[in-house]
Formats: sequence, structure tokens, C-alpha cells
Amino acid sequence: MPRITLFLLLAALGLPAWAASGVMLRDDSLRATASANATSRGHARKGDKVEVLARQGGWTQVRAAGKTGWVRLLSVRTVTSVGGLGDVGTLTAQRDPDKVVATAGLRGLNEEELRRAQYDAQEMQRLDGQAVNAEEARRHAAEGQLSAIRLDYLPAPQVQASPASPTGGFEF
Amino acid sequence: MTRILIALLIASQTCAALAMATPPQPAPRPAAQPAPAPSTASTPARPVDQLLQAILSGKTSNAEERRIGEQIAGNFLGAVKLVPDPALQRYVNLVGTWVALQSERPGLAWRFGVVDSDDINAFAAPGGYVFITRGLYRRLNDEAELAGVLAHEIGHVIRKHQLRLMQKSQYIALAAGALAKQFKDEEQLIRNLVGNGAEIMARRLDQEAEFEADRVGMVLAARAGYDAYALPRVLEDIGHLSDQDSRVALLYKTHPSPDERFGRLAEATGDRLDHLAEGAGLGQRFYRLP
Repeated sequence: MPRITLFLLLAALGLPAWAASGVMLRDDSLRATASANATSRGHARKGDKVEVLARQGGWTQVRAAGKTGWVRLLSVRTVTSVGGLGDVGTLTAQRDPDKVVATAGLRGLNEEELRRAQYDAQEMQRLDGQAVNAEEARRHAAEGQLSAIRLDYLPAPQVQASPASPTGGFEF
Repeated sequence: MTRILIALLIASQTCAALAMATPPQPAPRPAAQPAPAPSTASTPARPVDQLLQAILSGKTSNAEERRIGEQIAGNFLGAVKLVPDPALQRYVNLVGTWVALQSERPGLAWRFGVVDSDDINAFAAPGGYVFITRGLYRRLNDEAELAGVLAHEIGHVIRKHQLRLMQKSQYIALAAGALAKQFKDEEQLIRNLVGNGAEIMARRLDQEAEFEADRVGMVLAARAGYDAYALPRVLEDIGHLSDQDSRVALLYKTHPSPDERFGRLAEATGDRLDHLAEGAGLGQRFYRLP
């Protein structure tokens, strides 16, 4: 029963129901709430396997070694759970049942096609025709209650160390 | 004058160019035989020479950049067409233009398009052209994720990543003595730079350029009021696909793995965004494909 509740909760939060496991990419503390100011309940270490419970803004709630807490969203990456969900079709279906697509028969862009491509003036005209101006874009943003904020660019990380190397059982 | 400038430029850059030309094949035959004089040596620089200089020095004007991008975008659309859905295309332009307005190049004539392919990918060309495939669009869950993907491509444009790639490849060509072949006019030069069709879209930028575009993308989307974490979420989602899936073959060929990109974003972000107010997702008004 609790399992079902959790599942429904995840579904309600819009979380992919398969996102049950993750791996820590960096050390982080397990915070009581989804906030940098929250009190720490302990730590999760880089490479730790965790259970992913919820997400809120830039925070992810995880259970690590029996303790539950919030870590930065970028501190943990969800991995495909080991429960036989390795197949793309299954994953897609789980992510959103409305978006199930048959992967067979689909094909990607191929380089040969790109190489042989000839300039298409008609499509370029269509592309120009569908452009919008700054005023229209601002109005659309305002309709969505978006307002611009100030934020500096992120500098390139100093340490060139490779990110958390995949530890056992890790897969795309 | 033109010639001198180019010669100086070659002299100062040849080493760098050769260092990049992997592996150091049979010794290139560069400077030994001075390139045949461009016929314009003593006359004022022709437009084509000006353009070549601009590219080599990394100082293209917006108009020059646009002409190069226009050729690439037009060739690209020769291979893959726009999805015939005006409401979708308008929506993507509204979102993309708003994000681009948060960049230091708001005045470019930004053009966004969803192209009709199952491939999971997005593309940019110099001057303000950005494309996303229907395959990738279909995986997105809300407007913030769309904004994040477009913002990554906007990052390539504003940091001129493709122009830098061309600049480098031209150095190599020059070092190999290819300058001897004179370009008749600007059209010819641009065609030469762009190469065959839209193959440049399948060329790999250096990895740092991709990580930089991710960092820029995350920030631009956040500046626009969107959930900053939407882009890493998309990377995470794509990372769950098998790298054997044909729909991500080109993406994997031209980009570092999505998982590595996610990890790099984590490193770059650290605690810097801890106090960032939660951005909007706008899942309600996200234009869903039929």
C-alpha cells in the first residue's frame, strides 16, 4: 500500500515513475527541506547510490543509507532502474503513456543526406515568414507571467577532472 | 595590403593550425613556396578578400555572419523540411526569441524552426538560426525544457562556435597551400567554407564548446524566467536512451554524452544557483504535438 501511495505521489508530482534510483555526482548534504538554508541531516557522498523520491525547483529528495533529505538537483543523476526497464520502448511508455511511439521504423538524420542537401529557397522563405519580433516575444512572455531576472554566466569549472565515473551497474 | 595581412596572419597562426591538424601527416608544404599572389595585391581589397580576412581574424560583421549562416540553414532545410504546422512554428519562435533577448546579441534576426525528423537533436547556424527536430520536441514536457534546448543552441550562436570551427579549418587549408586557389567571389568563398550541403551540421565542435553552450543555455533560460534545471532534465532524459538508438546516433557523434554534459553542468553550477528563485515550467501552455 505505501508503495502504491508513493507511486501515485510521484505521478502527481509529474515525476517519471521509473526514476527510483540515482547516483550522487558530488558530495552534498541531506537537507531537511528543499532550501539551501535548511538544516542538514547528514551527507551523501559522490558515487553513493540513492533512491530518488521527489523534485522541487533545483532540489531533489533522496534516500541515502536510510536517511532522507534534499540535495541539489545537479548533485544526483537518475539512472535507469535495474528492474528490467532497459528497453527504450518501455521507458518511453513509462515516461508518458500518451507519447508511446514505436521506435522500429524511425530513422535519424544521416550524414549522407546532409552532405547531399541542396539549398532550399522556399523553405528559407517559410522560415523567415514564421519569425516573430521582439515585441511579440515580450508579450508572449508576459502572458505566461515570465519576467526576466539578472543572472551572471557560469564560469567554466576550474577543475578539469572528469565527472563522477560510472560506478558499477551504471548505464545510459 | 590584403595579401600582407593574410600572410602575417598565416605566419602567426600556422603553428596553431598545424598543431590542430591531427595527426601531423606527411609534412605539409606550406610557407616554402609563397602562395601565388592574389591578383588584387595592389588594388583595394575586394569583398571576397575582406570576407576571408574577417573570418580568419574572427571579426566577421553581423551581415557577413548572417550570409554564412543563411547558406548553412538553407542547405540544412534542403535535407530536412520544416514541420508544416504554423501554430507550432510560431510558438517556438515566440519562446526562442524571448530567450535570445536575454543574451548579449538580442538584435540578431533570430529564426527558429522545428524540422520534420525523428532524430533527437537540435542545431544552430551562425547569424541566429536555430532548429530542433520533431523527435526531440516530442520528448519535451514543458515550455521551460523547450527554452533550455533552444538556449543551448542560442549559446552556440552568440559565442560563434561554428565560425570558430570554420576559422580553424581555413587556417589548416591555408597552411596546406590551398590559398593558391583563389576565390572568385564571396559566394564561392562561402560555399567553400560551408562545404557540401549541410555536412557542417554533422561536424563535431570541440567538447568545451558544447559544455559552454550548456552553461550559457542554463543561464539564458533562467534569465528569461524559466526553470533553470529544465535543460539538465532534458539531458538526463536523453541519457536514459540507449546510445545504440539510431535517433541519437548523430547527437552522440557530435556531442559529449548527455551524462557527461549533466556532470559538467553540476561542476560548473556548484552552489552558485542555490538562492535562485524557482523558475516557471509553463507546462499548461506548452504546445503539444498532435
